[in-house]
Amino acid sequence: MSKPLNEQVAVLGVGCTKFGDNVDQNLSDMMVDAAQAACNDAGVTMDELQAAWLGTFSPGFNGGKASITLADALRFRQRPITRVENYCATGTDAFRNAAAAIGAGLYEMVLVLGAEKLKDRAVRGLQREGIHPLIEAGSTAPGMFAMAANRYMHTYGLDRSTLAKVAVKNHANGVLSEKAHLRMQITEEQALAAPMIAYPFGLFDCCPTTDGAAAAILCRADIAQKRGKDLILLRGSGLAVSSGKPYLDPTCEYLGFPSTRQAADQAYKTAGITDPVKQIDFAEVHDCFTWTEITNYEDLGFCNKGEGGKFIAEGRSTLQGDLPVNPSGGLKSFGHPVGATGVRMIYELTTQLRGQAGARQVKDAEVGLAHNLGGPGAVACVIILGREA
Amino acid sequence: MIGIVSYAVYLPSYRISREVVATAWGGRAQAGQKVVMRYDEDPITMAAYAAWQTLASLPDDRRATGALYFASTSMPYWERLNGSVVAALCDLRASTFVADFGGSLRAGTSALWAAADRLSANPDAAELAIVVAADAREAEPGSAEELSFSDAAGAIALGSRDLIAELLSRATRYDDFFESARRDRDEFVSTYEGKFSTERGYLRSLRAVIQQVLEQSGVTAGDVAKLVVPAFEKRSYLLLAEKLGFAANRVQNVTWDNLGNTGCAAPLLLLSAALEEVKPGELVLCAGYGNGADAFLFRVTDRIADFRPRVGLSLQRKNEIHYKTYTLYRKAREYRHSHKDGLELTNIFYNKEEAQITRLHGTECQHCGTRHFPMVRVCAKCEQSDNLLEVALQRTGTVFTFAVDHLAASPFPPTVMAAVDLDGGGRIYCEVVDSEPEAVQIGMPVELVARRLREGGGLYHYYWKCRPRRDA
Repeated sequence: MSKPLNEQVAVLGVGCTKFGDNVDQNLSDMMVDAAQAACNDAGVTMDELQAAWLGTFSPGFNGGKASITLADALRFRQRPITRVENYCATGTDAFRNAAAAIGAGLYEMVLVLGAEKLKDRAVRGLQREGIHPLIEAGSTAPGMFAMAANRYMHTYGLDRSTLAKVAVKNHANGVLSEKAHLRMQITEEQALAAPMIAYPFGLFDCCPTTDGAAAAILCRADIAQKRGKDLILLRGSGLAVSSGKPYLDPTCEYLGFPSTRQAADQAYKTAGITDPVKQIDFAEVHDCFTWTEITNYEDLGFCNKGEGGKFIAEGRSTLQGDLPVNPSGGLKSFGHPVGATGVRMIYELTTQLRGQAGARQVKDAEVGLAHNLGGPGAVACVIILGREA
Repeated sequence: MIGIVSYAVYLPSYRISREVVATAWGGRAQAGQKVVMRYDEDPITMAAYAAWQTLASLPDDRRATGALYFASTSMPYWERLNGSVVAALCDLRASTFVADFGGSLRAGTSALWAAADRLSANPDAAELAIVVAADAREAEPGSAEELSFSDAAGAIALGSRDLIAELLSRATRYDDFFESARRDRDEFVSTYEGKFSTERGYLRSLRAVIQQVLEQSGVTAGDVAKLVVPAFEKRSYLLLAEKLGFAANRVQNVTWDNLGNTGCAAPLLLLSAALEEVKPGELVLCAGYGNGADAFLFRVTDRIADFRPRVGLSLQRKNEIHYKTYTLYRKAREYRHSHKDGLELTNIFYNKEEAQITRLHGTECQHCGTRHFPMVRVCAKCEQSDNLLEVALQRTGTVFTFAVDHLAASPFPPTVMAAVDLDGGGRIYCEVVDSEPEAVQIGMPVELVARRLREGGGLYHYYWKCRPRRDA
């Protein structure tokens, strides 16, 4: 029986760089900017942080596979640092592990930092690593999600114009997000006419590859309370891992992601959520591709299986809807620097819960959900934060 | 008695019209088309398909194979047994005798000769001897040869029981005369065509061996239902038949316009085509030519009526995909010679992987029956780990889902990738080839085909792709 981790950990401060083609910054530059912004926001110095978690997927140039990337960039020395890599769910899993350490009583205050520099690579899209050179040759991120989307669309009859509605909504939100990568309004017609990437995904069905970093300072809830700030508490978290090779798994149905359902189930139990649509005020979900957001609605319990298309078509996930999804613009518009994305979701949740989201502010935001998905359903992480009145 | 037990052919799906080739070089248009392999094919992959089909057309209990003879003048490897790749792709056991035959355009019939020798030495053996010939000869761009050379494979399985045709007689002769050659340092074939070559070479050698087998068997040209001879141009084979007294309607049509010159694969391919048409009791005379000639006389048995090749020549003549321009065809051809993606696989890695990547073995859970590819230690369905057995997976299946991917690196995007559920169990992830991308659908029946997937470290790396089932 695992111990529930709720009401014990607070988000004291958050920071986020501008996301985009950050051609003038390297990985370290962005890490320093995000960490310092989070410290300033929390009103603490780097010296007060007892440990750090670094989320990076592919640190590349100026980064390493281990935790030294953070140590060297921030001169964060002689303290524990753990590097987390869990596909595209890297950022939220780094956060989850940091929170667990505080919950376990190991530390009082720690840093979570997610960062990624993708735009100085020669390859298009994300490089696939650790796959069999023959048995998995030819796989790309859009291709893998397209296989899932095609099976889903074959089964439930979704069409491409419904996918386009997700892109239109998230781009509209992104226009209101100063730090977003692609801040432009698009129309459904534009989305449908865009060049094909991997059927059914056209260019506007795919999130961009992005540079960026985001950071959060976590501390014990009682310490945050003493500091007299808005108290943003971790209400629930969950992580579930399933096959990273659904195309080789004869049991995979490809109709959404059981790992999301399982991670959400864990988080909902801890947070006491039984009716997500009523109890959650907004969500940042992993919309790496437009269809992914649609299946996320279903797997997170916002609607029944097969009804995700209706959920977006009825406008329920817009900023004005009854459950706004991706007010930040999501991966689609805010961008997707892999290791940074999950921490960026924590940044958005905290900003919304404090009522500081400006033009994209969700009304009466008291409980927010972050959902981070790695691979085609291989790794899912769900984090629920709430504001204490 | 020894003879033919099974036969098969392989024709690549791609075509280019001779008019497109000729006019690209400013020449006069010629009739017909060439049959050309895709950029991921070579004589090994073509041979693997044909050799496998000789087995796939037989019931499971008649597939035991004792030998595989691989003939080609365009072997992918100068050093490494090409036939062993073909044998492993066909999942033949280690005790199989495997040898490469090359050098001459009659390598296919030379291999057939050697297989007949093997069976004659032990006529009671139950095991088959598969003879497979494949060629993908390179012609100089812009040359006359470029208009005629086609890529294909033919295979004949010889045996000593359940024969569809009995071998009655055979004759051979060598002749150090040549009308084509390619040295160790040459990229392209050189030819010496013309009346002299035809008369001194082709007609002289073939007449000698054909007359010899007729005499040995005490039959005349008029008794033979099918004369099967290769052709290096449109007319000389008909002239040969005429000189030997064969009526024109008894000569197996080489379908020059649609097939062209398929090198050393031609005699076996044409013999397969003839066997699709013959009746019990008929005589079939098959000859190969190149630096001499071989001839074989067969008598068709009653069993021919019960034998049907799983994917016959007529099925493979459908589903043609045409290169619309010479540039596209040339790009595919050049890509084969220029593309090295740097994948270096050690023999340690290959040794561990051969069973799954080449032989297409998977594991089957003995608790719940679920099959897995690649081989796994723990069942994905029931999660038991104590009783998974290695099994040969079936090479047909259906598309469970797919993606038409424009981002994946390819010389001819988009790449169609599919998750294929194999008949009998197991899911494989592979490219869908030999089909227009728009035609690929969930539920589509497919067959697995071995292709040259990647290249690096001085090796070609073969792996499986799939294509729409030709017999579905």
